[in-house]
Amino acid sequence: MNVLIVEDEKSLALEMDEFLSKEGFIVEHAWKKTSAEEKIFVNNYDFILLDLGLPDGDGFEVLKQLKALKDRDDAVIILTARSAVDDRIKGLDEGADDYLPKPFSLNELLARMHAITRRKHKLEKNEVNVHDFLLNIQNRTVSFGEERLNLTKKEFEIFNYLVLNKNRVVSRMSLTEHVWGDILEVNSDSNFVDVHVKNLRKKLAAITPIDWFETVRSIGYRINC
Amino acid sequence: MKLQVKFSLYNAITKIAIVLLLGSIILFSLDKLAYNQLDSRLIKKKNKIIEHLNDDEIDSLLNKGESFTDYNILKEEFIVLTDIPDRQTDSIATVYTEKREIEGDIEVYRILNYKFSYHTNWYNLEIGETMTTLQSIKNSIRFYMLIVLVSALLITLVTDYTFSNFLLKPFYLIIDKKINRVNDPSHYNYENIPTNTDDFKILDNSVNSLMRKINTLFALEKQFIANVSHELLTPISILSTRFENMLNTAGIPEEHENKIYASLKTLNRLKVIINSLLLISKVENNQYLKTEEISLKQEISDIYEDLEDRIADRSIIYNCMLDDDLLFTGNKALIHTLLINIINNAIKYNVNGGSISITGNKTEAGYVLTIADTGLGMNKELVENAFDRFERGHTDENGFGLGLAIVQSIANFHKIKIDIQSEVTRGTSISLLF
Repeated sequence: MNVLIVEDEKSLALEMDEFLSKEGFIVEHAWKKTSAEEKIFVNNYDFILLDLGLPDGDGFEVLKQLKALKDRDDAVIILTARSAVDDRIKGLDEGADDYLPKPFSLNELLARMHAITRRKHKLEKNEVNVHDFLLNIQNRTVSFGEERLNLTKKEFEIFNYLVLNKNRVVSRMSLTEHVWGDILEVNSDSNFVDVHVKNLRKKLAAITPIDWFETVRSIGYRINC
Repeated sequence: MKLQVKFSLYNAITKIAIVLLLGSIILFSLDKLAYNQLDSRLIKKKNKIIEHLNDDEIDSLLNKGESFTDYNILKEEFIVLTDIPDRQTDSIATVYTEKREIEGDIEVYRILNYKFSYHTNWYNLEIGETMTTLQSIKNSIRFYMLIVLVSALLITLVTDYTFSNFLLKPFYLIIDKKINRVNDPSHYNYENIPTNTDDFKILDNSVNSLMRKINTLFALEKQFIANVSHELLTPISILSTRFENMLNTAGIPEEHENKIYASLKTLNRLKVIINSLLLISKVENNQYLKTEEISLKQEISDIYEDLEDRIADRSIIYNCMLDDDLLFTGNKALIHTLLINIINNAIKYNVNGGSISITGNKTEAGYVLTIADTGLGMNKELVENAFDRFERGHTDENGFGLGLAIVQSIANFHKIKIDIQSEVTRGTSISLLF
């Protein structure tokens, strides 16, 4: 899958590039509105990660340009540090697929990209296999063979997020923020996420050994596969 | 007192004064006029009698005695001729008003008294005319005048009131539409209120230009907030993505890994502080809409779901007794933030095994939601400063002291009144009046 990162902040774009390339994405960059519009005109992208504050214009104009083109199915995620309240509504109204305020966690970005992929390509089955566990993302259930696991909403969310970010460390902070949302003033490094992970692992381990479900020291968790 | 009422009252008082003055002048001159008329008639009659006087007549008049009296059937007029002793000094006619009794009826008469000499004999002539008719005419004129004047007064009072009401309508429209009902200056309607009174046009235009100034300031502040957030949040996102990538690099020593994660946490803290401050200024800058239907019960149960781990973690007994639900329009995300901050504080500053009780009921003043905990409580000084930014009750706790500042700005935005009751070691109770 190919991604166009429209971001004038080079160091941020390069960090995203590094992360996404490791995930197997083919990454292209546009530093300005004009070059973004040129690239969009020439190529189809699976994802366009769009910053709103570009040096030569507004990212919304790029979005408009894209929507004016026929037969395009590029998914657009708006990434912005601009905090105008109506930007989010405006972005989604104008046809963006998602909106992620900066600063965001790369894990979260990846999870959102996966969610969009599932939504866009309905043909692809809504099921993910992890070491013989089958996650049904639509029904939010996990089963092992014939057996259905009895997971709570939060346990499923944690499992799903770790699976989406498989083979990489997911910090407690990122996990908490994903599951509980961006709650201001609620300390995001509490250990209550650990309680849920502990319960989840207990439920998984009751069926089969889960040595692939790793605790990464004081930082967080990783699912290897 | 309203200007309109004052105007009407002033008009009424001046009119009453004018009416009284005018009325008394009219009555006074009416009186004068009537007496003059009567007197001149009496004098004419006297002259006529004197003119036609002759010896026979006097003799025939006086033949039966010293005096002669005559009156008509209704006793409206009378005439008396009396023979008086001679050697009177002068002959003048005097007119006066007096009561007379004629055949048992006492009536007020206007009387002309005239002494005159005729062929060396002196006579006294009295001609009287009744005043009763005059009196009754005067009374009925007075009565009708009163009715006419009072009804004129009432009519002008009513027309004054309605006219000033009509005249002042644009004024109240300006006050209501352009000042009272303006919650969001950015959606201000600059259209002029139709009026042909110049003063109101001036007022309207002044309010408009004031609003334009306010809007410019708001826009500037909005721009400033957007710029600040962009300038601060962009470097944070560069750093946090960089740290995230570093964490996923294979083979970094554990010690460094911990430091990187600690840096990520610090960055997150910075992010939370900036976002909290931005939230407060955006709320105070009216950048949020208040158009969503909110069910208080639903919000609280959502929050419970978010926080149940923390509640369970500290073995806190959670009691939620909302007898009636409250449905209102507002900003859902903000109300969620408001409630979660209060409830989270109730958990954070509680004791292990303590309790939190949430009660809600309708009162006369409005819907009251009370969130009470059995926690550490606050002393008076802390309660007073609780809403100040960066004021923190217990420094060993996590948090940045912005929670209650956020709570207050959201509450103000939604016109919710907050009341804090707190006692050290016994707990805090926060009431929200919707």
